[in-house]
Amino acid sequence: MQLYKRVLRLMGNRFEFTVVLPPDENIFAEHVIDLAVAEVSRIERLLTTYDEKSQTNQVNNAAGEHAVAVDHEVFKLIERSLRISILTQGAFDISYGSLDKKLWNFDKTMTSLPEPETARKMVRLINFRNIILDAENTTVMLKEKGMRIGFGGIGKGYAAERAKKVMQDAGIKNGIVNAAGDLTTWGFQPDGKPWTIGIAHPDASHQPFSVLEISNAAVATSGNYEKFVMIGGKKYSHTIDPKTGLPVSGIKSVTIVSTNAEIADAMATPIMVMGIKVGLDLINQMSQIACIIIDDHDRLYTSKNIKLT
Amino acid sequence: MKKICLVITGLCLSIIGAFAQVSDSSAYKSRKLVVEEVNLVSSYYHQDGNNSAVEGGIGSEKLTDFANILEVKMYHYDKKNRKHSWALEAGIDYYTSASSDRIDTKANSSASSSDIRFYPMVSCNMENEVKGTNIGLHASFSTEFDYQSIGFGASFGKKSKDRNRELTLRAQAYLDQVSIILPIELRGFGGGGEDEGYPREARNSYSFSASVSQVINERLQLMLITELVKQDGFLALPFHRVIFNDNSPARSEKLPSSRFKVPIGLRANYFMGDHLVLRSFYRYYQDDWGLNSHTADIEAVYKFSSFVSLTPFYRYYKQTAIDYFAPYQQHKPTDEFYTSNYDLSAFTSHFYGAGIRLGAPRGVLGIKKWNMVEIRYGRYNRSTNLNANIISMHLKFK
Repeated sequence: MQLYKRVLRLMGNRFEFTVVLPPDENIFAEHVIDLAVAEVSRIERLLTTYDEKSQTNQVNNAAGEHAVAVDHEVFKLIERSLRISILTQGAFDISYGSLDKKLWNFDKTMTSLPEPETARKMVRLINFRNIILDAENTTVMLKEKGMRIGFGGIGKGYAAERAKKVMQDAGIKNGIVNAAGDLTTWGFQPDGKPWTIGIAHPDASHQPFSVLEISNAAVATSGNYEKFVMIGGKKYSHTIDPKTGLPVSGIKSVTIVSTNAEIADAMATPIMVMGIKVGLDLINQMSQIACIIIDDHDRLYTSKNIKLT
Repeated sequence: MKKICLVITGLCLSIIGAFAQVSDSSAYKSRKLVVEEVNLVSSYYHQDGNNSAVEGGIGSEKLTDFANILEVKMYHYDKKNRKHSWALEAGIDYYTSASSDRIDTKANSSASSSDIRFYPMVSCNMENEVKGTNIGLHASFSTEFDYQSIGFGASFGKKSKDRNRELTLRAQAYLDQVSIILPIELRGFGGGGEDEGYPREARNSYSFSASVSQVINERLQLMLITELVKQDGFLALPFHRVIFNDNSPARSEKLPSSRFKVPIGLRANYFMGDHLVLRSFYRYYQDDWGLNSHTADIEAVYKFSSFVSLTPFYRYYKQTAIDYFAPYQQHKPTDEFYTSNYDLSAFTSHFYGAGIRLGAPRGVLGIKKWNMVEIRYGRYNRSTNLNANIISMHLKFK
């Protein structure tokens, strides 16, 4: 058995597809990877905010006006997004795109935070409760004019799961889909060992701080890496808390391990927003999910189901 | 039972168990989750009617991973101990890291710069859904420790009007630079042993592939595939030693600087009712080094019920030796080309076995939480004295 890989840019990210097949099976490997690429491209066309005709933008353009019929698939994805929003008390919110950047915008040169009131104004349109679903007609309506939804926080994970499904259906028993660091694995490496996943150190994204051995599991990481500013001796990340409108501080990176790439992808950023204590408390209550947090002082926190030996 | 192992190689990370210094975020409060939220992961698709993504085939085994505590091993090292960290890194093929633009709603098309630095790649794809055609172009550049590669290619696809037939043509070229890492005793002095010491050689590959897939009817799908490959440059694997018949010093294997490969394969999948799926594959391969081979592979999946299925499989492979192969101590030092790599010798191999999968909605052996067991056994026989038995067992718990 050997690895067949392809790397390409999809959904604005680096996607890497890996399958395990016997030697000289490169044609079949190419064919299967073609199927996966086509699936991710299809999802990209469905969800992108760069195409005025995409279903996402149809919904956005009708915000405050009328409901828009969407594909069953998009409807279900929104439905699942709302479940995660409720779970995370709104720290995950696909209407994050309603952020009003005219009032204030995060950039690396800023020297002060906005007034709390300005910040709250900026996020006034972010509210997943104003995404109204009608299951009977599979329509979506955004209540407020100017509201926008986007799948930046969940789409890659969803695409990775779908690509995996397509390849599994074609008979691939072992592989990895890596969507720019959000990856999902199934089966084993050619030597029969679990897949070895490095978790990038938050200060040096090319260097791992730890190694994780998994099979049939997904991993996603969210972090501030280079995108942060120092204000008053405190580090603020480019991630904006959708409740306060202020940049998040305290955590350098969050890694989520779960059985599903979509959940791993969707949960990493909200944990960063919710903070170490509340975030860990949330993960600790859930089954089949684990979490590794590194704070601004390089201290490591893990959920209870990770044991240090 | 599977365990998850996390090995920390830390750049000065400290572990904290207590939360003394954690300040509570004002906007979010800890709260008790309802049962449905506790089981979000396992019930994630259930409301979707799409159980298969998590339940089907291998996917279902996923659940076992989290039944247990994940084990985390700690390693500490300092800068003087770099070799240690290198060894660990060498085993890592995949990284999880934040794509820092994730939460930006424009993430769908923005670039994450750190990726481009190491894997620049441009590609474009034009699809005409009305005509059913697809044209793609791509170029890539990648660099690794012992490998540098520039690649470009083009592809064309055409679907028939009824979408039952699809033709795909693909042409690709890869211009690579390979570092030549010789066996230690064959290395010259002065290189110092660090990475700068390895000479680089060119290796170019050009390929053209064509495949036709045809849906014959609801039950039968066929795919015919061929790929012509021309390689030139340094094609030997320099770390393979050859020992000659006259006690002259060992040398690194030497092979011609050009190779032309022609494989042709046929794949057929047959769905016989709800209970039986047959997957089969045959390929003939020939190259101008004198190697030709046959591969035949068949796998059946038989479902006795939705709880019990059996999957026997058999794979046959036979190849002739390349013209430049001779066993240990049988090459003459005057031979122009020589290798003793047994992967290039004549051999026949058989790989056969079966898997059985038992699901019990009320629990295996009366254990309620244990609802699936799958055992696979395979035996691999190669005529060049390579035999292996492979047994694997997968358990699934609710």
